[in-house]
Amino acid sequence: MDLISADPTPVPAKSSSSSASASASSTPSPAAASAGSHVNQPMSTKTTLGEKKSKRATLMQIQNDTISVAKAALNPVKANIMMPQRQRQKKKPVSYTQLARSIHELAATLDQKSSQKQLVNHVFPKLAVYNSVDPSLAPSLLMLNQQCEDRNVLRYVYYYLARILSDTGMSPGGGIPTPNWDALADIDAGGGVTRADVVPRIVNQLTSEASNSETEFHARRLQALKALTYSPSGNSELLSKLYEIVFGLLDKVADVPNKRKKGVFGTKGGDKESIIRSNLQYAAMSALRRLPLDPGNPLFLHRAAQGVSFADPVAVRHSLEILSELAARDPYSVAMTLEKLASPAVGALQDILHLNDVLARVALARLCHSISRARALDERPDIRSHFNSILYQLLLDPSERVCYEAILCILGKYDNTERHGLESSFRSFSRPVLHAAARVVQEMGKSRAAAFAMGLQDIDESVHVNAFSDVLDDAETNDSSHPEGIRRTSSISAGPGRNETIASLLASLMEVVRTTVACECVYVRGMVVKALIWMQSPHESLDELKSIIASELSDPAWPAALVNDVLLTLHARFKATPDMAVILLEIARIFATKVPGKIDADVLQLLWKTCLIGAGPDGKHTALEAVTIVLDLPPPQPGSMSGLTSLDRVSASDPKSALALQKLVQAAVWFLGENANYAASEYAWESATPPGTALMMLDADKMVAAASSRNPTLAGALTRLQRCAFSGSWEVRIVAVQALTTIAIRSGEPFRLQIYEFLYTLAEGGVQSQLSEMHLSNGEDQGVSGTGLGVLITPMLKVLDEMYVGQDELIKDIRNHDNANKEWKDEELKKLYETHERLLDFVSLFCYIPRAKYLPLGPISAKLIDTYRTKHNITASSGSTDPTVLATGISDLIYESTQPAPAASNSSGLDDDLVNAWAANLGDDGLLGNNAPAMSRVNEFIAGVGTDAPDVDEENVFSRPSVGYDDMWAKTLLENNELEEDDARSGSSSPDSTGSVESSISSHFGGMNYPSLFSSKPSSQATAKSSGSKYQSTYEGYGSPIREEPPPPYSYSESQSRESFENPMAGSSSRSYGSDDDEPRKSTVTRFGTALYDFTAGGDDELNLTAEEELEIEYEVDGWFYVKKKRPGRDGKMAGLVPVLYVNQS
Amino acid sequence: MILAVLFANSVGNVLIERFNGVPAEERLTWRSFLVKLGAENLKGVKNEELLVACHKSVYIVYTMLGDVSIFLVGKDEYDELALAEAIFIITGAVKDICGKPPTERVFLDKYGRICLCLDEIVWNGLLENTDKDRIKRLIRLKPPSEF
Repeated sequence: MDLISADPTPVPAKSSSSSASASASSTPSPAAASAGSHVNQPMSTKTTLGEKKSKRATLMQIQNDTISVAKAALNPVKANIMMPQRQRQKKKPVSYTQLARSIHELAATLDQKSSQKQLVNHVFPKLAVYNSVDPSLAPSLLMLNQQCEDRNVLRYVYYYLARILSDTGMSPGGGIPTPNWDALADIDAGGGVTRADVVPRIVNQLTSEASNSETEFHARRLQALKALTYSPSGNSELLSKLYEIVFGLLDKVADVPNKRKKGVFGTKGGDKESIIRSNLQYAAMSALRRLPLDPGNPLFLHRAAQGVSFADPVAVRHSLEILSELAARDPYSVAMTLEKLASPAVGALQDILHLNDVLARVALARLCHSISRARALDERPDIRSHFNSILYQLLLDPSERVCYEAILCILGKYDNTERHGLESSFRSFSRPVLHAAARVVQEMGKSRAAAFAMGLQDIDESVHVNAFSDVLDDAETNDSSHPEGIRRTSSISAGPGRNETIASLLASLMEVVRTTVACECVYVRGMVVKALIWMQSPHESLDELKSIIASELSDPAWPAALVNDVLLTLHARFKATPDMAVILLEIARIFATKVPGKIDADVLQLLWKTCLIGAGPDGKHTALEAVTIVLDLPPPQPGSMSGLTSLDRVSASDPKSALALQKLVQAAVWFLGENANYAASEYAWESATPPGTALMMLDADKMVAAASSRNPTLAGALTRLQRCAFSGSWEVRIVAVQALTTIAIRSGEPFRLQIYEFLYTLAEGGVQSQLSEMHLSNGEDQGVSGTGLGVLITPMLKVLDEMYVGQDELIKDIRNHDNANKEWKDEELKKLYETHERLLDFVSLFCYIPRAKYLPLGPISAKLIDTYRTKHNITASSGSTDPTVLATGISDLIYESTQPAPAASNSSGLDDDLVNAWAANLGDDGLLGNNAPAMSRVNEFIAGVGTDAPDVDEENVFSRPSVGYDDMWAKTLLENNELEEDDARSGSSSPDSTGSVESSISSHFGGMNYPSLFSSKPSSQATAKSSGSKYQSTYEGYGSPIREEPPPPYSYSESQSRESFENPMAGSSSRSYGSDDDEPRKSTVTRFGTALYDFTAGGDDELNLTAEEELEIEYEVDGWFYVKKKRPGRDGKMAGLVPVLYVNQS
Repeated sequence: MILAVLFANSVGNVLIERFNGVPAEERLTWRSFLVKLGAENLKGVKNEELLVACHKSVYIVYTMLGDVSIFLVGKDEYDELALAEAIFIITGAVKDICGKPPTERVFLDKYGRICLCLDEIVWNGLLENTDKDRIKRLIRLKPPSEF
C-alpha cells in the first residue's frame, strides 16, 4: 500500500511500490530508497521549489526545509535523516494537504461505507507518519467522533485528538517533520486554526463522553478518559475537571464488593455487569495514576487503596504504584489504610504475589519497604511485620526485576537464596539481566562499604553486614514473627560458622562477577567494574582489580563517558572509605596512563584532591606521590617502552592521546603546585625558620640537604617540578614554573630560597656551572639550558627579589633601631606597613595566600605590623570576606563539586576528620574560619552535598572592577625594561646583598620616580580607563610616605587581589578579560533587518519568524543572528536566534 | 518513567519517537545519542537480542527487529529489567502487526496500527497494557475485558 501518496488515484502496481518507498523514505531512508532504487533519483531541491504549488504547500516546503536546515546545523546525524526528504518532495508534492482534505471530505460523507474504509485503511494510517497533527483537523475529527459508528475509525480519532491535546508544538513524534502549526495559522494557511482554538472544544467533548454512563458506550468512555490525560498538566482547570470525572467514576464502580478470583486475571468469565465495572475501574485507576499525586487528600488515598482489590491486574498495578509513592511521603496513613488488606487473614496483598504483573510486584516491594522501615509506625510492629513478611516473600519471586528490587530494599540482610539468584543471573545471556545483577552487586558493595565506614565490620566479614543494617534499622527488633520460615540473621546470632559461609558466599559471588567481565557489552562490563570497585575491601590485594581494569581499558570500545563514570565511582568509593585513598589513586593512575584521551582532567583532579584531603596526615605524602607518578611517565614514544611493565605502559600512540596525556601532566603539575604545601604541611606563615637562617645556607648543597631533611614530601615535589620545568614540553614547563613560584611563595625557608635559586638559574639559562652544581647535588638530569622561560620567570623572580629586599631592609632597620635604642615612629611603621601590603598585593598576583597571616617581610615583621594595625584600628582582611578564597584552589574544590558525582549511598561515612584536615591546615589561620561561607561549602562538598556552587564565583568574576590585574601586569612589563638595564644589580640583589641594592627596585615601586607609568597606561588599556582615577588616587598612598592621614581603607587591595587570581589551568585570560569582551558587543550599533522567509524555531533559544517581519539584530554567533522583534510573535517570544540567511539586513 | 521510546531504521533515521518528561532541548541530544549507540552496536545483532547501556542513572535497552531498531530509555522503576519487559511487549506487538520481523517497508505500511499499539503499551511514560489480546482489543476500541 502506498503510504504517503494518499490519494485514491490508482497507481500502477510496480511504480506504486517504488514511489511508496521513495515517499516512505521521507521518514527517510536510503534503506527504503534501496527497495525501489531503480526508479527515482533525486533531483536538486531547487527544481522542486520551482514547481507550481498551492500557497500552503510552498509554505510547508519552506517550513520543512527550515527545520531540516536548522537541525542539520545542530546535528549531523539528523542531517542524514533529512536528506531523503528532498527526494520525497521531488517525487510527490507534500501529501499532507491531501490527507487533510480527505479527512474533511470523508468526514462529510461518513454515511458511505467506503468513506470509513478509506479513512481506516488509507488516510489515518498515513497521517500517523507525520510528526504532529494540524489543529485545523480537529473540527472534522470531532465530527467524526460524534457521528461515526465504526470502532476502528473512532480509535484513530481518539488517538489524534489525544495527540492534538498533548502537542505543545514541541513534541514531535518522529516520522516526517511537520511545520509549527500555530505559526502557520498565523499566516492564514490553514484557516487560522490554532491549538488554543480547538483544545477547549476537544476537552468539552471528551469530558462529556467520559461521563457518559451508557453501558454500550463504556469502551469509548475509556478512550475518552485516556485521551484527556494526555493534555499538559499545567492546566489546573482541566485538572480539577479530570479529578472530578475520575472520582465520580470511582464512586460508582469502586465501592461494590468485588472478590477477585485468584489466578484469573480478569480477562474471562464473570457476568457482564462486573466486567464492565472492572473495565471502568481500570480506566479510572489508570487515569488517576497519570494525575498528579495528592498526598494530603484522604479521599485520594482511599480510592487508591481500593484499587488493590480490583479485578483488573493493570488497575491493581497502578493502585500499588500510587500507594508506594504515597507511602514514601506518608507511610503512616498508607499503612493504616492498608492495615486490613495486609493482614494474612484477608490476604489481598498476598494475592498480589501471584499476580502476573511484574511491575505490580515491584511496586508492592517498594510499598512494603517504605512501610516496614517507617519510624512513624514504631508503635505498630504488627503492621510492619506483615509488610516485612511480604517483602521477604518477594525475594523468592521468579522475576529478576522483582527479586532485585526486594534485594535492594533489604540490602544488607542477605539470605542465601538471593545470592544464588544473583549467581545464576550472572550466568544469564541476557544483557539487561547481567547489567542489573552487576548493579545489585554494586549496591551490595556500597552497603558493605557503609558498614566498614561505620566500623561495624571487621576484616573478612567477621561480623556480618547485618550488624550495620540492624543498628541503623531498629525497626527490626521484632523479627520473631516472620512466617514461612524466613529467618533473619542478626549480628548477635551470627556465629563463626555463619561468618565463614558469608565470606565464602561473597567470594563465590565475586568469582561470578569477575567472569562477567568477559561479556562483550561495554556497559555491562562497566557496571561490573563499578561493582568490583565497590566490593573491593581495603584489606584485600588489589592486584586483580588493577589488572582487570588495565586489560579492560585497553579495549578501544570504551566510551569516554563510561570511563569517567568509573572514575567518579572511584571518587564515590573514596568518599565512603577514605582509607582507600592510596589504593584508589593507584587505580586512577591506570586510567591516566591507559586512556589519557578519554578521561577528563577535571574528574581526575577532583579525585586527586579529594584523596589528598582525605588521606589524613599520614597518608598525605603517599597520596601526593601517587599523583606525581603521572609526571614520571615517560613521554609516549612507541617502541621505547621496553623496560616498562604493562601497567605503566602509556597507550598514547596517536597524537590526540599524546596531547591528552600532556594535558594530564599539566593538570598534575598544577595540582602539585597548588597542593604540595598542603600535603607537606609546610607554610611560610607557620614556618619556624627565621629568614636569617636562610642566609646561612646559601651553599646549594647544604640548602638542598637541609630542605630534604626538613620536609621530604615538599622536597620530593620540588624535585619533580624542577625536572618538569626543564624537560617537559613547553606548556608543561610554563605550568611547572608557575607551580614552583606558588610553592616558593607559600613555603618558608629554605624551600623558598632553593626555588629562587633554581628559577634564577633557569632565567639565566646557559649558566652551566650553576646547573651542574645542582645536577650533582640532587642527582637529577637537568636537561638542556635555554628554556625560553625567561619572560615568564622574570616577574616571578622579581616578586621574590622584592620580598628578600624588603626583608633585608627590615632587618637593617630593626638593627638600627636596636642599636640606637629608638622607638619605632608612626611614620616608619606606616612605611613598613605599606611595604607589607604592597608585597602582599604582588604575591597575590601569583597565588593565593591568606592575607591576614602571610608575612612577606618574614616573621620578624609580625610584631611591628601588629602594632601599627592596632594603633590605626585596621582589621586584617579576613579570609571570610576575601574573594581570593573563591578564586583559587579552594574554589576549585567547590567548583569541581558540580561535576556529576554519583552520590555515594553513605557519603556521611566521611566524617569530620576530613573537615578538620582542612580546618587544621588552612582553616586555623582564620581564613576558612568559623563563619566563612566558603568553609561551609567545602564541608558540603566533602560531605557530597554541594552541587550548585559556582554561580557566585562566576558572578564575582564578572562583577569585579577590573582594576588591579591589568595595571599591575602592565607595570611589571614596563618594569621589565628597567630590570634588564640594571640586570646585574638586581641579579645580585638577591639575599646576600643585604641592603646594598634595595633602592634599585623598591624605589621603582614607590612610584614617584615614574609618574608617567600610570598616566601613559590608561590609553593602552581600556580597563584602566574606567577605574583609573580610583586606582591612581589610592596608589599615591604608596608613593607618599609622608602623608599624615591614615592609609586608604584598603578597598583597593581587596579589589586588586580579586582580580589577580588566576588558575593556570582554567584559561585565566578569558576570565579576567571577560568583562571587556562584553563591551564591544554592547557598544556595536544595532542593526535592523527583515525576515526573508518563515522560520520555525527548532529549540528554546530559537525564534519563530514570519516573512517580512521587521527585526532588530543584536549580534551574530556562528551563522545565527540574535534578533528582537518589534512585537511578540504568536508564541509570545520577543527575541531569539535565527539563521543569518533568513534575514535581510537593512 | 519511560523517558523515550524510539524507533529508527537501519541508517539511523527516526521513524517513531515518544518522549516523556524530557525537556525539548535535550531531545535532540538523546536522539543522536541513541542513534549513535545503535549504529555502533547493533551491527550483526540477532533479532530481539537485547542490548543495554546506561548513562548516569538512566537506563537504555535497545534491540533490532527486522530492519528497525527499537530503543527504550527509562529511569527509576524502569531499569534495565523493566525496560527489557517493555521492549519485549513492544516487539511482540510489532511482530503481531507485521506478521514477522518487519522490513522498513512493512513497518511503514503498518505505521498507523503500530502507533495505536504503542499508545496502548506506553501511556504518558508509564507501561500500561502488557497483555497481547488486551492490546489487540483496545486498538479496535473494544473494552479490555469482554463479556
